[in-house]
Amino acid sequence: MEVGGYLLPDDLWYHKEHFWVRMEGDVATVGVTDFFQKLAGEISYLELPSEGDEYSQDDVVGTVETGKWVGKIYSPLSGTITEVNSEVVDEPALANRDPYGSGWLFKLKASDLSELENLFKGEAALKWMEEEIRKKAK
Amino acid sequence: MYLFNLDRMPDLLSMVIFHELAREGVEALVIVSPEKPLISIGYFQDAHQEVDLDYIKSSGLPLFRREVGGGTTYLDENQIFYQVIYSRKNKRFPQTIKQAYEVLSEPPCRAHERFGIKVRFREVNDLVTEDGRKIGGEGGADIGECMVFVGSMLMDFDYQTMSRVAKIPDEKWRDKVYKSLEENLTTMRRELGELPSREEVQEILIAEFQKVLGPLEKAELTPDFLRRARALERQMQKPEFLFGKKKGEVDSLKIKSGLNLIFGQHKARGGLIRTIQEVEGPSLGGTIQDLSISGDFTLIPRKSLREGLERSIIGARREKYELFPRIAQFMESKDKEMPGVNTEDIIMALGLKD
Repeated sequence: MEVGGYLLPDDLWYHKEHFWVRMEGDVATVGVTDFFQKLAGEISYLELPSEGDEYSQDDVVGTVETGKWVGKIYSPLSGTITEVNSEVVDEPALANRDPYGSGWLFKLKASDLSELENLFKGEAALKWMEEEIRKKAK
Repeated sequence: MYLFNLDRMPDLLSMVIFHELAREGVEALVIVSPEKPLISIGYFQDAHQEVDLDYIKSSGLPLFRREVGGGTTYLDENQIFYQVIYSRKNKRFPQTIKQAYEVLSEPPCRAHERFGIKVRFREVNDLVTEDGRKIGGEGGADIGECMVFVGSMLMDFDYQTMSRVAKIPDEKWRDKVYKSLEENLTTMRRELGELPSREEVQEILIAEFQKVLGPLEKAELTPDFLRRARALERQMQKPEFLFGKKKGEVDSLKIKSGLNLIFGQHKARGGLIRTIQEVEGPSLGGTIQDLSISGDFTLIPRKSLREGLERSIIGARREKYELFPRIAQFMESKDKEMPGVNTEDIIMALGLKD
């Protein structure tokens, strides 16, 4: 679906800091939302976690530079990093061009699927996004 | 929100303070200049690739890696830095990066105007004069639970040292870096014809920030805080942090937002070809405003380098499909010889690989 000009695929879960999660079994693929990349502008650098690193939900796992601002990348779920997208590290603008596809950031083996309840999906994601647009995109 | 008007501080400490305040969650406006010059690199920069480390060592210039983005900068006491630190949860202040730049750039713009210099904020993060020259750069970071917005008022600027500090692939281009900086970066001194009063700049800047941030409570750094800041300074000076980023060969130098010097090189069968391109707009698709090609390849007559090859490229968009026919036309001309170099080699030397 599209909300106020921002793509928000129905099948994904969303973290409040604008990271999306695609679940395949207990493996979560994580990336930035269309809203994130549009508001941040051109993503020039990414610092991502390493395979094998363990994190808790909401932990800072990396950094991102857009427009000379260094921001944080959060882990939407607890778990262990299983794969990092080296292509997006080499070419961070991929996360701008294709945030839900080739611009994904990392994969994580989730250790507690009940944490998905703390993310937004479906109707809840729609309401959350509308509120975010009202607060931040004006 | 607190106001720390620190005037001059020891070089590295002048830049460490805002990092420590943010870590401690202290909302503040900091106004400060370094007592002595230093070189500051952006969080994602590789010092070995961006900075002429031999030069800065021999010149006694300390190196600092900030947690804010952007490129290499030369800092000295003729620059007055403003640093705004606020909690991400404080809804009184901008919540997005875009909003932060727009709202918090207003005070320095107005401060310049009060000196008679018309300055506006230009996306993404430059302050520019009416004629489009940069007079201030800004940046930011999320540090701890805070958003940190930083920038500087350039009362004066040492173009010579800045151009000397950047690591570039070919020393012959040092002069080009200097000229590009001088043409595109201005200062209060240049605009006014004289150096403004430091105290006056500080006072006006603070007054303008108060209009946006609300009342500021004057405060001083305590000895305990300074001890913690010194400890952080030691952490940030550790080689694993200072030289923590590893990147490939240096490939560009940002002069101002939307203007970059792009370096390229390629080893053709006929010799090494190096290029420096002044590109306005995006690196890919922007306009090549100027170009210099050098190397150990053979080209006879030599004058066809400037008059033929370089001229065929200058003014074009930096995209392979546009450049290829222009270069091919030169390469196919019969009045020159360039053995062992073909059109694809020049494209590669311009940094436009497939």
